[in-house]
Amino acid sequence: MQPAPTALIAEDEPLLRESLERQLTEAWPELTVVARARNGREAIDQFDRMHPSVCFLDVHMPGVTGIEAARHIGHRAHLVFVTAFDQYAVQAFAQGVLDYLVKPVDAARLAQTVARLQERLRDATAAVNTDALLLKLAAALERREAPAPLRWIRASVGQTVTLIPVEQIDFLRAEEKYTVVAWRDDSSEQREAVIRTPLKELAAQLDAAQFAQVHRSVVVNLSSIARVVRRPNETADSHLKGRGEVLPVSRSFLHLFRQM
Amino acid sequence: MFAGILFGPWIAVGALVRQRDTFARDQATAFALERSELERKALDARFRLLQAQVEPHFLFNTLANVQALVDAGAPQASKVLTSLIAYLRAAVPRLHETTTTLRQELELVRAYLEVMHMRMPDRLVFSMHSDPGMLELQCPPMTLLTLVENAVRHGIDPSETGGSIDIDLKLASGRCLASVTDTGVGLRATGTGLGTGLAALRERLQLAFGSEAQLRVSEIVPHGVRAELSFPARKTPA
Repeated sequence: MQPAPTALIAEDEPLLRESLERQLTEAWPELTVVARARNGREAIDQFDRMHPSVCFLDVHMPGVTGIEAARHIGHRAHLVFVTAFDQYAVQAFAQGVLDYLVKPVDAARLAQTVARLQERLRDATAAVNTDALLLKLAAALERREAPAPLRWIRASVGQTVTLIPVEQIDFLRAEEKYTVVAWRDDSSEQREAVIRTPLKELAAQLDAAQFAQVHRSVVVNLSSIARVVRRPNETADSHLKGRGEVLPVSRSFLHLFRQM
Repeated sequence: MFAGILFGPWIAVGALVRQRDTFARDQATAFALERSELERKALDARFRLLQAQVEPHFLFNTLANVQALVDAGAPQASKVLTSLIAYLRAAVPRLHETTTTLRQELELVRAYLEVMHMRMPDRLVFSMHSDPGMLELQCPPMTLLTLVENAVRHGIDPSETGGSIDIDLKLASGRCLASVTDTGVGLRATGTGLGTGLAALRERLQLAFGSEAQLRVSEIVPHGVRAELSFPARKTPA
């Protein structure tokens, strides 16, 4: 005979906490909610005190998040994450074997989750929440918060604003207060535009896998480089595909082009 | 020697003229850049306001709360829905309106705060105060709302204990002085900065008032943020 199942609900919004408890009472009458938490820190405290068999954890909570609480709980309970709309989190859950519910919680979906949990408790299956999965999930959530790399540079000439896709940029060169953008338009014509954003600020927003700063005043698109020729004094020149310009590579950036 | 005396000054003058030409050209480029930059900014700011969307995370969490109230047969369900609708109506971009009144803006702020208060009743308290005679003054759309949303998102929401948000509008020597003060976690705690919302707001203010509007964000003790906004008090054209 299995012990009666117990649950913890961690959710910072009281109405949602009560509502999930009510829904659970209907979907799973044998389950007793033994602990309720308003944030991740309380969830950890309550878990350590009550040792519930199932934990429902809201992903976004003030202070300690649901993911961090989950990492503390580890294999000691079956976890179900609860999240509002969260494209990336839901993707991460769907790829893993972690169970999740989307708010507002749908009764049919909750019934499925309950059936799965009952099965796992009956078979005494170990909880699947591995630390690796949780780390991945935490990373996915952080990525959502970090800004995406720049996709276009807006340059204006007179009344016209040109949107230059960053893939079409060959290089960026700082000139006094301005930045020169050397790019190719759709017919592969070489073009130049002058913009006001300083090179340093632009460089920080570019995809680091695609663009490299090779000199104090030059950032180059790595796929535009044809070859790099070494020069005395540990500097080098980079020659571009189909362009006449030769860009300097200074000593501190030379390591980018060491032979493989 | 003689030739030097004869030509030297002319060479120098020539160099000066050339230098002035270069200078003038640089200036012209700088002015052209300045102008096109302003035009671009105006376009950008309009574009971004149009793009301003209701955050799905906010929307679904709020709807989940409304559903919880409806399921429980709670009488405040209808009132909360009214606030949510008021907020959504304002937050969905209005194409033709470039200015609203402080009255409209305050109604929007109240609707938003009432929704948030339903969601975090134990973590958010708020107050609103305005000097008499201010309600019909001009206010660029979503100005106060941006500041209040920031206060919730970066101040109150990340805090376990929450805090208060106070909105204060004063009229002084022909200017509107608006302040939004929260007692949340403060600027350093989140480390995310106040981000794009404030940058976009600064642009909109620049468009509406040029250099006559000022926005200042500062930290308060023991913890929290105060945003102070000052702009010319103008009646909306009837």
